[in-house]
Amino acid sequence: MRAVENALGIKVPDNARIIRNLISGIQYVQDHVIHFYHLHALDWVDITSALKADPGETSKLAQSISPWPKSSAAYFKMVQDRLKKFVESGQLGLFANGYWGHPAYKLPPAANLMAVAHYLEALDWQREVIKIHAILGSKNPHPQTYLVGGMAIPLDPNSASALNADKLALQRQLLQTAKTFVDQVYVPDVLAVAPFYTDWAGLGAGVGNYLAYGDYPTDTSEDPARLWLPRGVIFRRDLSQVHPMDHKEITESVTHSWYEYSDGDAKARHPWDGETNPKYTGPKPPYEFLETDKKYSWLKAPRYNGQPMEVGPLARMLVAYASGHQGVKAAVDGVLKALGVGPAALFSTLGRIAARAIETQLTAAELLAWHDQLVANIKRGDLRIHNGEKWDPSTWPHEAQGWGFHEAPRGALGHWVRIKDGAILNYQCVVPSTWNASPRDAQGQRGPYEASLVGTPVADPSRPVEILRTVHSFDPCMACAVHVTSAAREAITRIQVA
Amino acid sequence: MPKIAIDPITRIEGHLRIEAQVEGGRVAEAWSSSTMFRGMELVLKGRDPRDAWLFAQRI
Repeated sequence: MRAVENALGIKVPDNARIIRNLISGIQYVQDHVIHFYHLHALDWVDITSALKADPGETSKLAQSISPWPKSSAAYFKMVQDRLKKFVESGQLGLFANGYWGHPAYKLPPAANLMAVAHYLEALDWQREVIKIHAILGSKNPHPQTYLVGGMAIPLDPNSASALNADKLALQRQLLQTAKTFVDQVYVPDVLAVAPFYTDWAGLGAGVGNYLAYGDYPTDTSEDPARLWLPRGVIFRRDLSQVHPMDHKEITESVTHSWYEYSDGDAKARHPWDGETNPKYTGPKPPYEFLETDKKYSWLKAPRYNGQPMEVGPLARMLVAYASGHQGVKAAVDGVLKALGVGPAALFSTLGRIAARAIETQLTAAELLAWHDQLVANIKRGDLRIHNGEKWDPSTWPHEAQGWGFHEAPRGALGHWVRIKDGAILNYQCVVPSTWNASPRDAQGQRGPYEASLVGTPVADPSRPVEILRTVHSFDPCMACAVHVTSAAREAITRIQVA
Repeated sequence: MPKIAIDPITRIEGHLRIEAQVEGGRVAEAWSSSTMFRGMELVLKGRDPRDAWLFAQRI
């Protein structure tokens, strides 16, 4: 969207800016909470231990960290009974495939039970709060109301088929529901669990370079300095200097990726000149191991200034922190103080988890302010939602190129487009997980996951929960929904231990 | 020294394989591999730029 608007020089109205911020912001809040409870918590929380917890003790613990009302002994007893029934049925469902009883699990039974209760509550909560996507985007996932030049959603406080006063009232209520859960459940849980795992503040750092495109324009100026989450680059964990970000410094290498470039694989290419020529040269499945000295991934290796970069909530919070962003600085310092650690602890697996929680809390608060801005515009009679000046291709130049940026929940997302005679000549996406899960490049430099795993303890190679902890802390999203793949190829679902 | 492969990594969105060389109870070397091809770039070629977001959004 932004790549095409950038190429064609299209500015969106203020209301479209705010609605895009709201759609994207509630996505952060929902996605980060889902990641913490449903994708990551079970690396730290032992379900089987929760069965042994004393509900009274769990209640005391919960009430000591939060005013959240669902905290009685009877409530936790009910959750425990529900879990027992589930385990006794022999069909673990959601909780199958865990390394239960592994010595790396450190939480006491009461904390495990509290976390399981919140895991289940978060399932219901996330379904509620994402109704905002239904209001503003007609559905979730993949909201349908985007439009080059603005949004395709009429604003009219008095029309039943538009974004009207009723829908805005519901939206505010949902935003408040979102914020309360984050403030009273998610953030206190992170702060309660973290002290049991402080060794993970010294593990999983990775490449130590952080890239943020920044996002959430606070006005329609298109000035990068007016982004709520700032843009910038940090090299070698040096928080004393935030470098300006220039997208022309981004290249992709395919030396270790199953692609070939028309002029040879040695030279990395900027996405405007990017090529997607797939060529699988790996072993024929089923195989034991990949040929990692050659090509071994469907991801290209993106680099900034030739360096591998970590992207995501930690990169965003570090860039904001080092840029002197007031809200982020206060929140990060508060968490560091609560955990009794210094800023160096942020460069870690635990740092990623903390940064994600901080970002969620700040975003949940900011969303209410954006909502109020939208309401104020509508009250003033500003109902503009789309700029159609350059909708007609006859108004476009013969050739154009553009760059679109976004900070997705998982990190910096860039799209590069070249348009010729009204059609797409070339389109390249460099998504967050391409940065983080990148294979090695032409220089042999490891990608962020690879670098972060080196030095990770593995108590039992047949149950490598420690590897999952660090990989999950990045919140991987490998080409989320669409794949072009051979129907004949079968998924490999076994764990091999040599 | 065991070399391990975790494939797929579960509780993520998509398909990820990690290979790791473990020495002395720690990871000595690691490789990250995406095991599926996306191809979005090929899907978009030649299309109306005003439609790009609807396809690209699915990533």
